[in-house]
Amino acid sequence: MNDTSMTAASASLLSCHSCNLLSKMSGSHGHGHALCPRCGAPLHQRKSNSLTRTWALIIAAAIFYIPANVLPITVVTSLGKTQADTIMSGVIYFVQTGMWPIALVIFIASVFVPLVKLFLLTFLLISVQRKWKWRPKDRTRLYRITEVVGRWSMVDIFVVTILVALVKLGGLATIDAGPAANYFAAVVVTTMFAAMSFDPRLIWDVME
Amino acid sequence: MAEQNTSESRFKDAPEAVVKMRKQFSIVWVVPLVALLIGGWLAFKAISEKGPTITITFKTAEGLEAGKTTIKYKDVEVGQVQSIDLSEDGSHVIVTAELGKKAEPHLTENTRFWVVRARIAAGGASGLGTLFSGAYIGIDLGKPGGKPTRSFTGLEIPPVVTTGLPGSHFTLKAEKLGSLDIGSPIYYRQIKVGQVVAYELEKNGKLVDIKIFIDAPHHGDIFENTRFWNASGLDVVLDASGIRVNTESFLTMMIGGIAYDTPANLEPGAPAEEGATFKLYASRDKIFEKAYVEKKPWLLYFDGSVRGLAVGAPVELQGIQIGEVTDITLEFDQKKLAFRIPVLIELEPERVKFIGGESKLSTMERKRGMDILVEKGLRAQLKTGSLLTGQLLIGLDFHSEAAPAKINWDGRYPELPTIPTPMEEITSGVTRIVEKFEKIPLEQIGKDLQQTMANLSKTTAELQTLVQKLDANVAPAATDTLKQAQTTLIKVDRLLNADSPTGHELKRALAELADAARNISILMDYLERHPDSVIFGKEQSNEK
Repeated sequence: MNDTSMTAASASLLSCHSCNLLSKMSGSHGHGHALCPRCGAPLHQRKSNSLTRTWALIIAAAIFYIPANVLPITVVTSLGKTQADTIMSGVIYFVQTGMWPIALVIFIASVFVPLVKLFLLTFLLISVQRKWKWRPKDRTRLYRITEVVGRWSMVDIFVVTILVALVKLGGLATIDAGPAANYFAAVVVTTMFAAMSFDPRLIWDVME
Repeated sequence: MAEQNTSESRFKDAPEAVVKMRKQFSIVWVVPLVALLIGGWLAFKAISEKGPTITITFKTAEGLEAGKTTIKYKDVEVGQVQSIDLSEDGSHVIVTAELGKKAEPHLTENTRFWVVRARIAAGGASGLGTLFSGAYIGIDLGKPGGKPTRSFTGLEIPPVVTTGLPGSHFTLKAEKLGSLDIGSPIYYRQIKVGQVVAYELEKNGKLVDIKIFIDAPHHGDIFENTRFWNASGLDVVLDASGIRVNTESFLTMMIGGIAYDTPANLEPGAPAEEGATFKLYASRDKIFEKAYVEKKPWLLYFDGSVRGLAVGAPVELQGIQIGEVTDITLEFDQKKLAFRIPVLIELEPERVKFIGGESKLSTMERKRGMDILVEKGLRAQLKTGSLLTGQLLIGLDFHSEAAPAKINWDGRYPELPTIPTPMEEITSGVTRIVEKFEKIPLEQIGKDLQQTMANLSKTTAELQTLVQKLDANVAPAATDTLKQAQTTLIKVDRLLNADSPTGHELKRALAELADAARNISILMDYLERHPDSVIFGKEQSNEK
């Protein structure tokens, strides 16, 4: 594999993000910023500080994930009876009332996907740091899945915001967003940024 | 490439510079730091606000839901039910609940829990909001200063929450609960001033302790001598005084109630302290009776029927009640072969105001006094209290004409002499009259009467013969006499008639007599004026 390939990095070439001009990068230049000779945009061989940033964002997401699941995400007030539901209690409620599809959607979108994203990114980070050479192609695919699937976690937040806006029936029924909604949104956003800041090329760098 | 190689080979011996990568703190670490701060703050808040976990036992978990049912104090949420389990023997449910941190110092043995459900009673409806929102557990913090505890027994009936309300609690001891219930009103002069907050059997089970709460400012009206009575329902009294119906209000007729007053004839005493204990009297009348502590038993023996006399009937001295009948039995004297009825009464000497002399008499003095009174004619007597009901009462009165008697101090109870009832007297009086009637010799009288009648008829017959004799002999003679009288009268009449010569002559004679009389009168007149004319005669010249 590696014998047939020639990467931009091995050729000491840099591609500008903005104007796609290939420029030559000669040796180590310490901490100075490389700039595109044509458009002046900063040039990076790899996403800068990719591992650190991804780690930071993943840790933040993991921390936010706890209150997002422990605190209530919706507060339903119906006929004077107030009921606060966490994500899991909502899922359990739908399972108990026999609405399996809805329960499944909520569970996958709100519980499963964020968790999968967190674990996948962590796995990728560790694999890169340990310079594993195990199945780089599959790992790259995993990364792509992470990136694609991540945005669907926002479904839950959208549902909550729409419900809050729709169900304002005064004394009959009112739905309010619980504090977990904020944390859940934070989880989704931070995992998305984490996925973005991860540079899959790092998976392949060790192969050279 | 070749150039590079040559340059590399040229400086082949030069040492490699140590490139020390300065660890630069990436700004991105602020994100997990912020997340950590928020998470840490949340965790700290959750832990610091985590209050005590308590267990409450209830008979039933009706309306309670784990994780949903809240615990509310004054309608403010202070906790939540975590789980509901059956007790080991299955007799009740154990509710585990988590309370807020602020509730911790209030969780003492005085704290009470109960389930608030919709309740509709005669006194009013409560908890209707729970029809929609579901039941919740109410909490009353209770008096401060109890022993801290974490397990409670829930009340089945919601108490009346009085914590923090101005007013006072009192305990009433009653023989029975009657129709009272939690929330039953308490009236003072028919104004609602409080309510029953709890009741329970006394430890020995003889009396019922009724806890009441009097709202401020009325709790200041309660003194040591204040009397409470049960104003429940209709108080219909049918006794010697007739029929009386008392009630405090329509509400008390339905759900019961308590009223109180401080009798005017008592010293009110000091204001009652919080938690003071009072006796609950059965009715308003009882509060006055029981005001007298001293009771003196007396025994009365009646020979006649005491039908209509009941235990509790009043004993009146000259019309004023001074005691009551406490026992009525029946005795049979085997020697005399006669029944007699001992009636035990209790006199309350305190009802009598002693004036003149010492107010407190010794027992001996009192005995002596009673002896004197009996000597003066004090007797007990059955009296009809009400003609309508036929109830009897015992009257003590002075009967100066009564046969002399004495108090028998020897028995267990002193025995007061009695006299028969007025009814008995009437009966005996009638008997006496009948006896007298019986003594009248009616037959003799009849015989005499017959003889008299015979004599009378004989007399009548004699009278008849006499009349006949008179008719035969006297009547013709009388007729002749009458005829003669008639002729005489006719003659007289004829004589006196105007046309008769006798009459005419008589008339003339009378006229002459009148003339003569006139002349005499003139003469007399003249003589009076000229008395000398008798001697000298008429003086003609002087006249003309």
